[in-house]
Amino acid sequence: MSLVLQSVVLGLLLGGLYALLAAGLTLYFGIMRVVMIAHSAFLILAAYLAWWWHERTGLDPLLSLVVTVPLFFLAGVAVQRLLLARLRAVTLTMMSVLVTFAVALIIEGLLGYAFTGTQRRIQLGYGSASFEVLGARVAVVKLIAFGLAVVSLGALYLLMKRTSFGWALRATIQHRDAARLVGIDTERTAGYGFGLGLATAAVGGTALSLDSTIYPSLHWHWIGPLMAIIVVGGLGSVPGAAAAALLLGLAQSLLQIPLGTTWAQTVFYVALFATLAVRPQGFFGGRLAQRF
Amino acid sequence: MPSPHRRTTWAAALLLVTTGLAACGSGGESGGDGPIKVGISLPLTGDFSEPGKGVQQGYEAWAKIVNDAGGLLGRQVELTILDDQSSADRVVADYEQLIGSDQVDLVVGPFSTRLVVPSARVASEYGMLFVEPAGAAAEVFTQGFKNLFYAAPAVANDHYNHLAEYILGLPADQRPKTAAYAAMDDPFAQGTAYGLKARLEAGGVKTVVNEVYPPNTTDFGSIAAKIAASKADVVVGGSQYQDGVNLIVALQQLSYQPKLAAFSTAPTNPEFAAAIGNKTEGILAPTGYSQDAPYPSNKEFVEKYTAQFGKAPEEDQANAYTTGQVVAAAVKAVGCAEQGDCQQKLIDWVHANKVDTVVGTLSWDDTGKPQGAHMIQQWVGGDIKIVLPADVKEAAIVYPKPAW
Repeated sequence: MSLVLQSVVLGLLLGGLYALLAAGLTLYFGIMRVVMIAHSAFLILAAYLAWWWHERTGLDPLLSLVVTVPLFFLAGVAVQRLLLARLRAVTLTMMSVLVTFAVALIIEGLLGYAFTGTQRRIQLGYGSASFEVLGARVAVVKLIAFGLAVVSLGALYLLMKRTSFGWALRATIQHRDAARLVGIDTERTAGYGFGLGLATAAVGGTALSLDSTIYPSLHWHWIGPLMAIIVVGGLGSVPGAAAAALLLGLAQSLLQIPLGTTWAQTVFYVALFATLAVRPQGFFGGRLAQRF
Repeated sequence: MPSPHRRTTWAAALLLVTTGLAACGSGGESGGDGPIKVGISLPLTGDFSEPGKGVQQGYEAWAKIVNDAGGLLGRQVELTILDDQSSADRVVADYEQLIGSDQVDLVVGPFSTRLVVPSARVASEYGMLFVEPAGAAAEVFTQGFKNLFYAAPAVANDHYNHLAEYILGLPADQRPKTAAYAAMDDPFAQGTAYGLKARLEAGGVKTVVNEVYPPNTTDFGSIAAKIAASKADVVVGGSQYQDGVNLIVALQQLSYQPKLAAFSTAPTNPEFAAAIGNKTEGILAPTGYSQDAPYPSNKEFVEKYTAQFGKAPEEDQANAYTTGQVVAAAVKAVGCAEQGDCQQKLIDWVHANKVDTVVGTLSWDDTGKPQGAHMIQQWVGGDIKIVLPADVKEAAIVYPKPAW
């Protein structure tokens, strides 16, 4: 019984982290119908920057967000304007896979060059601290990561729903031509939207760095599950991705008990196949045009 | 758009380069007085890049120490190192290239069982001597290789033999009753944990958790939850590096306090203590190498390695160096180093002889399996010390382990 409860707690915390890590990925697809393979590479890059910041300054890695979030926003705008906006519309989705695959390889290579392949872990005073809730242990670092996810996804939601930039971005996602007709500069909006997506990668990577050992090729282990999450959640839908992430995180954690780690991991791919076979538009997003 | 003229120039240049290379190749082969070329493929990028670079440094140290002492058979040793990106397909292509087109005189092994088995097969097809620093799993020695030798004291399943002996030798009231095992789905990592598991089960220690996780596992919370819920007296991790670190932190986050914790590989890594926030108290690990081990060539190795790289060698470096020592001993004794008949003479020599190395005196059975067991080290007071076997120990083993 306590194992089940413990697994539920771990699953929810993990699901929250998954939601944060997948948010940017689904946003890019919504904005431009592109598949951004390099998203997880940017996550690892942010994790490295958080680690490096902590090594150099001795300050808490969370403070690195002050630098990395604006930096990643600008990088996102640059990636969109300089690379993706130049691809031909007809083959955009396909070609974006190739281009961002290249970006991922470049980031991995540069990380290996700058920081070597040595596996790094941020040494935090509270790294293994935990407290008890109803008989389950909650690790402080996992809770912080979960908190970061809640705060940044909440902020993203408010931004999308309550600001004029958010309205413009949603209009661009829903119908680019119509948005242009009502006077929205869709090119610029798409660029900023991309920046926003990459800014979530900065937060996500920092959250990831708190409780994992990082190395340059780690991003390949993440991109698969994240892709599965955004498909199950409905491509382009941030709330859909969040719901799918929580559900799959929980499922993975609970399936671990009877099935073991190897089979529990396949839940992502089983869910992916089931979604594509039964409901290709995803389980949470509604029709693509109405998403977020 | 290049002009036809320019294209011809390029073609000519290319031709010059290739014929030049070919000339070099044949010259080195027939002369026997040029450098001895040693071909190696290593995982310098990808999943095994960390240990791969360690192995590379070990080989480089060996080449330098040999060359500074006048070389092998009066010839300088020259390493050709290719990057296999931790991929079994690439490693096969690399060794094909090294032996077939680069015409190296000798080959030595890459890192990790997953890469050793396919590369040993290539070497075997060409009849080359294949001494390797990292293929410690049982399956390496069941492939029927006649040319393979593992240059370390023991194979994976025998790593924990001294510890198993110690645990089962405890008085019945102190002896642990239950054990939890978590092992990476990797022949080496799993082999270490299962070697101990088989011995403890035979001795009456009940297995309460037996988890296997794939190498790409990023979250260890759930595995740790299972182990913590079982309240096992002993936890054994068949780990490489990052998985061992992540699992230990996850166990600590759940406030699990076993009487004995043993993890392969990770605890002997110099980054280990910092990575888990110095909460290392009492963690055990098998090790095939110690800088303090009193073998004569080890002192020279530690000294010269430290001078070359600015820090003392670790197990990966030592295993590579040992590989070099075994090959060098064979070459010196047989008096040749080239492809062809010489290779079989080298293989026969290693089968028939013992070699003194930085990890002790090594000898092999017919399958190339070394005949020994690993030392057991333990983290005591912020430092890792040899605790088993008794004749080489630096400190007494602490059991039950203090809280971490």
